[in-house]
Order: sequence, then structure tokens, then C-alpha cells
Amino acid sequence: MKYIVCIKQVPSTNEVRLDPETHAIIRDGRQSVINPFDLYAVELAKRLKEKTGGTLTALSMGIPATERLLREAVSRGADDAVLLTDRAFAGSDTLATSYAISLGVKAVGGADLILCGKMAVDGDTAQIGPELAETLGIHHVTDVCEVLDITEKDITVKKLTEAGTVTLKVSFPAVITVVKDIVQPGLPSIAGVRKSMDAPFTVFTAAEASADTARTGFAGSPTNVVKTFTPEGRTEAVPVAASDAAEFILNAIKEVR
Amino acid sequence: MMTEKLIHPMIEDYAEYLKDESRSVGEAESISFPQSEEEVRAIMKEVYAKGEKITIQGARTGLAAAAVPHGGHIMNLMKLNKTLSMREDENGKFYVTVEPGTILSQLKKSIESRKFNTTDWSDDAKKTFIRFAQAPEQLLTPDPTESSAAIGGLVACNASGARSYLYGPTRGRVTALRIVLTDGDVIDVKRGETFAKGRELTLTTEGGRTINVQLPTYQLPKTKNASGYYVDDDMDAIDLFIGSDGTLGVITQVELELLPMPATIWGVTCFFTKETEAVKFVDEVRNNITRLASLEFFDGKALALLRKQKAESTAFAQLPVIDPSYDSAVYTEIQCDTDDEAKERLFAIGEAMERCGGSEENTWVARNASERDILYFFRHATPESVNMTIDRRKKIDPIITKLGSDMSVPDKYLAEVIDMYNKTIEEEGLEAVKFGHIGNNHLHVNILPRSGEEYKRGKELFKKWAAKVTEMGGAVSAEHGVGKLKADFLMIMYGEDHIKEMAELKAAFDPKGTIGTGNLFTPIVKGGAF
Repeated sequence: MKYIVCIKQVPSTNEVRLDPETHAIIRDGRQSVINPFDLYAVELAKRLKEKTGGTLTALSMGIPATERLLREAVSRGADDAVLLTDRAFAGSDTLATSYAISLGVKAVGGADLILCGKMAVDGDTAQIGPELAETLGIHHVTDVCEVLDITEKDITVKKLTEAGTVTLKVSFPAVITVVKDIVQPGLPSIAGVRKSMDAPFTVFTAAEASADTARTGFAGSPTNVVKTFTPEGRTEAVPVAASDAAEFILNAIKEVR
Repeated sequence: MMTEKLIHPMIEDYAEYLKDESRSVGEAESISFPQSEEEVRAIMKEVYAKGEKITIQGARTGLAAAAVPHGGHIMNLMKLNKTLSMREDENGKFYVTVEPGTILSQLKKSIESRKFNTTDWSDDAKKTFIRFAQAPEQLLTPDPTESSAAIGGLVACNASGARSYLYGPTRGRVTALRIVLTDGDVIDVKRGETFAKGRELTLTTEGGRTINVQLPTYQLPKTKNASGYYVDDDMDAIDLFIGSDGTLGVITQVELELLPMPATIWGVTCFFTKETEAVKFVDEVRNNITRLASLEFFDGKALALLRKQKAESTAFAQLPVIDPSYDSAVYTEIQCDTDDEAKERLFAIGEAMERCGGSEENTWVARNASERDILYFFRHATPESVNMTIDRRKKIDPIITKLGSDMSVPDKYLAEVIDMYNKTIEEEGLEAVKFGHIGNNHLHVNILPRSGEEYKRGKELFKKWAAKVTEMGGAVSAEHGVGKLKADFLMIMYGEDHIKEMAELKAAFDPKGTIGTGNLFTPIVKGGAF
């Protein structure tokens, strides 16, 4: 089995500190961290690998300093790491990022299962996982909260929805994105840190990953952020008289179907 | 100033102010919540003149019952909680002045996020604040496990924490104090300004009164210590008030020194399958690895308790899984300037583990703040679990309260003192948990009595330990302060003559012997015995 886990480098805090004189944001040199949701993906991937055997590659697109976090993923259980880094990738929106990540997946020869965190805590889009799957033309399940079974061919998962959970079985190759608390991430050991320093680490530039530069960076990013807002909840309570309940439920089921 | 509105009779609503984290309960007739130094002075003057006892309180997180009143008046300082000022010295070091009711965790958060209400600050302080906000991140070093403690309380008991192994206790960071005396007068004392001559100290109040103090003649133990008044030849006057347990006056302002935050802070918890390996490891690392900020211990019973808590309580669900083979753990923190340096030390720690019979695999490494929080939670969960256990046991017999030791010994006695704890606990057939600051040979042994009878035997055992620890040249209270619960131990540690000297010292500030009554010792009363 071949596993890939995708990680993103995010700021370690969302607290913004302003210079009291100039009111400019102070970059306090605080180190960035692995996106917290991705830590669940790393831990889950490690456990699945322990169960089925195989290899686990940590993959990211980012600045060269992302190496530190990829090595951290290795200290947490990955076997090796791959970084896509190039000026050509700078300014990528989710479409261009998922294209770049898909090239990384291809460059290492593909995978049976690709795991991502549900979303990154800095961008909050939750788009990379599904877009990556679409770019690669493979199945995906978002918001996975439990893995029920895994075989050589497929994985059975519970997906969290607004109304509850849905159980789905998907055949490989596939992408899943995981929610918080699907597993409890452990901490690396000293032995893990040691291993991560010597682990294979591969860097791909845009050219090395055979990127079509029209699809990377600013050029490949059609997203235009006009406005950001919190979507209104789609659930609502409808009062139903006891005498009408049976019919109401029947209709509701028909509607869902 | 009219004090009628400031002093309230004790009613049911104030019941919580009769107890503290030591879980002992006292009694009082009245309570006040002064909001300014002026109010403190007015209340002090009036209540003291009446001859009533006065117990000074902060956040009541103390473990030695120093804030638990034994009758009289409670002066609670939690509404005296402003940050007043900030200054920078010629070396670029920052100092922040706060009122005693300032909560440690909030002050730390303000320092971290550089957010202070500077509206009432002087122009100089405001200018300093701008430089502070632009400067690299700063560190307030005292880190008692209970971060909801008040700064006044930290100073009153000279609190420590895990990082005291590197930075020392609160004392070293306190650079100025204002203290309201029993007559409402004030002493303003700055570090480096007023010194004793030998063991004689002369202080001048703002009102122009001279106080001559004969300092006790005892020598302080050469270990981590928060037992009784700090005295030394030619000592700085400020040190007398730090750790004085609310017995000399009311602290109304504290200036604290900040240090630059180290660039790299990595925490690592090292697990061992045998306690002896963990103890050997402590000796190995403290002799060979520099700039470790803390060395904290958890024994097998503590780990077992944490496993149980994790299984039974959702509040502890976020604790990482502790392998059943682990029988003790040592937490240590690396602080240095670069990741490369940190790696070097981390591997040195791993190698030390292997030399002591441990394995590098059995470790948790935390390299950023959120990972360190997991390890801090683990540390904090230990005394929390003990408290929860005690609360359950209290239902068996209400006499049962927390029995937690706070004794330290010199380095060479570490293995011996642990051996003593283990043997005597086993002989007595008691249940106990050992954890805490092993780097300073300062373990908290918490006895978990299963009956009132076990509680009494545990208490007796503590007295025996106090005598043994004193023989080893140690201290009966290394960080919690003596308060009321450990006054007996202080007698064992220093003996009657030195306690009398302490009582005489107190009488120079408090002739009626009514402030902080029962803390450290029973105060001397003019014309009577102590």
C-alpha cells in the first residue's frame, strides 16, 4: 500500500500583533507549524500503514523552509518527504495548489490513498482535498470522522455531515480529508526526530514536476476574492403536529431520495 | 477616608473567601476588597487599631493555607489588579509594575500579545511600552503550575515552578515592592538600594518613621527554599518581604523583571520502566547538559492515576496514551538560540536515557507551543487528579484533606530521600503519588488517605520526613511557603530559638501580632510568650 499525506505550513498563532506607532503587523519570527487538521491525517496515515504495511510519503507545496515541517511529519511516522517549491508556484489559489500537489503525487508514482486535513486553519477553504481528487480523476470523501475498514482495494469510512454521518466505501486510488479528533495525534519520539534527519527528502521544481506554468502560481489562479462571509445555516426546525408526523417523515424521505 | 463602605460583614456570599486551594476552611468576621493603595491604607489603619486579626488574600491558589483566615478581617486584593507602569534599563531590559491582584496567566498573556491598558500610564511608561511592543518577545519566568495565582501571592510565598530549575524562584525577578504597614504607612523598597549591615536592617518609611530590624541568626539551607523569612548577612532589604507569607505588611505594588524569550524551546518527556533509571537519568543530565529549564518527575503511581483519569473523565481525554510499561517519567525543557543547538541537546538527552537503561523511543518531543501545551497539561493533570481523588475520599471522612509535601534536599541526597519516601510509605501501608521538581531534589509527595486514620498517620509521617530532610540540610518548604499548614515543620527545621527570632522580627512590623496570624508561627505578643 502506498500512502501520501498532504501537509500545509500555517502560522502558529492567529493572534495579530500591531506596532503601536506604525500600526503595521509585527512579524515576530514565531515559527510556523503543520496545519493542525493535517496532524490528524498524519497520525491516521501512520496507523493505517501500521495495519496494512506499505509506505507513507509526506507531501507539501511551499517555501524551502517547509522542509522542517515535512521532516516533522517524518518524525511523526512518515517514511520520506517531498516538497514542491518554485517561484512559479507563488501566489497559487486552491486550483493552482491542487494542480501542483497532483503533480507531486504523480512525480512519486501515485498512491493508493491520499490523506489531507479537512481544511487549513489559515485559509479555511476546505477545497484542496476535493480539487486534488478531481485533478487526479479519482474518488474522494471529505470530512471523514472514522475509518471502519481498510483492505488492499478499498476503504470504508464514516463521513460527518450536517445531519449525522454517512458510511461510504471507496475503491483506491482515493483521497480522504479528515476531521479533528478522528484519531489522537501522538508526539514524536527522540528516535523519530533522529530518523527524520536522515530520511529521504526530495525537492521538485515546477519544471522537474513537468508543470504547465499556465496552470501554476498567479497565472493558474482564477480565484478572485470579492467578499468573505459566514454562510447561513441550512438546517431549520419545522413544527409538525403529531397527527401529521408519519406523512411528513415519509415525504421528507422521498425528498432526500 | 471613610471605611464603612469598604469593610463588609461576613455573610454567606463570601463563604469562598474562607478557604484556599489547600482545601482547609477558616473563619472571619469581616472582609474588604480594596481597589487602591489608599483604600488599603485606610482599612489597615482602622482594622489594626481595633486589634483584629487581618488575613491578606490574593487568588487563594496557595497550598499552605496562608490565605485562610483564623478569625478577624480578610483583606482580599483581587480588585487591586492594574498594570501600572513599564520601564527599560540601560541594558534594554524591561520591567513591569503591577498591583498584587494581577493574575499571572493574564499578565503573561499581556506580555505575549503586548496588550496593556496604558491609558493612565506616565508619558515615559507609554514610550517604554512602544519600545517593548517592538522588541523581541519577552518572558516572565515564574511558572507555578497554578497559573491563575495572583502576583502578590507569588511574591508572598516566593513561588517557583518547573522552570525555576533554570531561572530560580520568583525572588530573583522582583526588583521593587511597595508595602503598606500596620499603621497605614508605606515602605517603598527597590532592589540594590537598601542593605542590612550584617544582620541589622534599618528601614525608613514614606512617613519618615525608622524601623530597626534584628534579622534572625539562622543560615538558609543551600537548597531550593521557601521556609520562613529570607535572611542573610548584608542582605538586600527587598528579600525580607519576598516569601514573608503575608506577615509583615500588604504588598500594593510589585515590579517584575522580564527576560528575553529564548528563540527555541523544546520540551521532552522521557519515560522509564523503572524508577531507579529515571533517578539515575536526572543525575546524568543535570551534570552534563546545560540550559535545561526544568527537570520534572512523575512516579509510577502518578502515571497510573493519569491513565485512570484519562479512561474515566472526558476532561482528561486529551492526555496522550501512556504506555502501560512506563513506570516513571522525567520532563525536561531545552531552551536555546537555534534549532541545531536544540537538536544536539535533544540527542544528548536521548543518549543519557540509553546509558541509564531507558530508550529514546519512549519519549514525547514537543517542538512548538501547542505541542508543549500537551506536555504542560500532562504536568498539571497530576496534581488535579490528586485533588479530585482527595475530594472523593473526603466523602469517606471529612477530616481527610490534601497531604502534599514540599521538601527539598541537596543534590547528593536525591536517591536517598526517594528511598526514604518509598520505604516509609510502604511501611505505613499508605497510598501516595510522587511528582515534581526532581532537578532541585524537590518532590511533592502526595499521600492519598483512604480513611481518617490514614490521614493522621500520613501527617505524622510528614513530620518524620521534615526531621530527616532537615538532617540532610534541606528545606521543609521549597516553594509553597509555610503558611499555616507547615508551621510545625518550620519549628522542626529551625528550632525554637530561631522561631523566636522570627517572631521578634515580625513584631518590629506588627507589634500586635495580628497580620497573617498563624502563618509561619504563632506570633509573639508583647508581654506574653509566643
